[in-house]
Amino acid sequence: MKPQTARQASGSSTRSRQQWLLLSLSGAFIATNTLALALSVSAEQRDWIGLALWISCALVGGKILQRFLPDRDPILFPIVMFLSGWGLLAIARLAPPFADRQEIWLLISTGAMLLVAVFPHALRWMRSYRYIILAVALALMLATIAFGSNPSGFPFAPRLWLRFGTIYFQPSEMMKLVLVAFLASYLGESATAFRIAGEDGSANVHLPRLLGPTALISALSVVMLIWQRDLGAAMLFFVVFLLMLYLTSGDWRVIAGGAAMVIIAGFLAYHLFDVVRLRVDIWLNPWPEADSRAYQIVQSLMAFSSGGLFGTGLGQGSPLYVPVAHSDFIFAALAEEWGLLGVISVLSCFAVLTLRGLSIGLRHSTSAFRRLFAIGLSTMLAAQAIMIMGGVLKLIPLTGVTLPFFSYGGSSLLVSFVMIGMLIRLSAEARQ
Amino acid sequence: MSIEVTVFLLRLLSSLILAGFLLALFYLIWRSLNQMTDTLEAEQAHYARLASIGDQNDEHRPDKSFALLPITTLGRSASNAIVVDDEYASALHATIVLEDGRWWIEDRESRNGTQLNDQRIQQPTALADGDEISIGRCRYRMILTKQRFTS
Repeated sequence: MKPQTARQASGSSTRSRQQWLLLSLSGAFIATNTLALALSVSAEQRDWIGLALWISCALVGGKILQRFLPDRDPILFPIVMFLSGWGLLAIARLAPPFADRQEIWLLISTGAMLLVAVFPHALRWMRSYRYIILAVALALMLATIAFGSNPSGFPFAPRLWLRFGTIYFQPSEMMKLVLVAFLASYLGESATAFRIAGEDGSANVHLPRLLGPTALISALSVVMLIWQRDLGAAMLFFVVFLLMLYLTSGDWRVIAGGAAMVIIAGFLAYHLFDVVRLRVDIWLNPWPEADSRAYQIVQSLMAFSSGGLFGTGLGQGSPLYVPVAHSDFIFAALAEEWGLLGVISVLSCFAVLTLRGLSIGLRHSTSAFRRLFAIGLSTMLAAQAIMIMGGVLKLIPLTGVTLPFFSYGGSSLLVSFVMIGMLIRLSAEARQ
Repeated sequence: MSIEVTVFLLRLLSSLILAGFLLALFYLIWRSLNQMTDTLEAEQAHYARLASIGDQNDEHRPDKSFALLPITTLGRSASNAIVVDDEYASALHATIVLEDGRWWIEDRESRNGTQLNDQRIQQPTALADGDEISIGRCRYRMILTKQRFTS
């Protein structure tokens, strides 16, 4: 027994060294940039409180995780702290009035992440009460159709939020987590049924078991598109559903059929919905309308080009030419002031998050639910990041989703942190 | 020192830290992948045995086991290294091959297929210690070891 405990102890101290190395580098980066921001622009954009708050979140979070989950993946927490601290900095730069709100949300989100990671029953509950949780989430989403509002107050803006006093809450963000948990538990139980091979040696997909979730997701996506004009969420739900279904069944026909459905739906939506037609038109050629409907995307491309290799430096670019840069277009602002180096760093962080998430899933060889849950969570984060980063770069049509951990928005930050909390919990329980 | 110079130095510092963060991140990922490879290599076994755990008469005969050759053929025909005495087995049913320290099983287009842990295999599949292989109504268990068998 002795050598094994010694080895475990040394493994846990290596892990804590890795965590603190990455956290201190992130801290140095954020402190340097906060100082640069304070020196380069007007006094109202000083963000010392944000820095102090970030440092305390990182310290307390790191200590708690080290104390309660010594076997966790040590890289996840520093990466999300790095990204969210950077995001806080960008918001303080781009939209100073929103920074205080986002700082409070960071505090709440870190707390929620630690709670989910340390509390041992969260995963089991997500599985046992899946129908109740799904029903509540669906009810909240339907409620936005009736009682929805938009914080900006414009009469024609999509009403995706529910208002409680001064707090706005976006149920479609919560739906991301709920959907992944539901699909993981449902598909996990059907996994053996999917894998039974047919007489001719081909995998035999059980149609009736597939019908329920497919109908649910398709209906959800269509409802989101028609009533809410929320193209991003509709796309995201459908893509993640397809990927999880493919990972469960291992059948290429799932991907082929899903791609066909997306193309047909895209074609129909192009002719039926103005918002889809607009997005596709300005993706194909934004230049004729560069100063009207395509203004945002063209300014975003300009921001990328003026950033260059190392960026203009914080507070020295002009990212505010991009309208609402602190929300969906935060990646463009980041590209302008931190340049290609910053873009590569963000891409690497998301790539590493996805890689670690998938490997956590692979190490859960005994539980199909846990395996699919870890894979689904990382797929959801990756798909969301790819969709918005690709959209801002005009690689794919723009779908308005937030850049996880970065963009302004409390619901998005909270849900992304809770997803990471679940991944950390899963990593601590996985086979080493 | 003027503010412009300070801001420029801070910008330089921020880029350096960013590059340092990336380097640290990639180094940690590289190291953990290396560790994973080491763990997998430690699990390699160059000797393996196939123990018969039941046949068409549902008799358990744990004493009957076969040492595996680097290329072992299984099937009903007498020319195979391991002869599967079952009418549902094809003449040449499956092969087990040692490659890069891992044992792989491949179905040789048999009529009734080869099951690994009750799932029909579609492609060459790596075997782990304790895996159950079914050919026709015969069942075998895979036993991996690092040492050569003395028996």
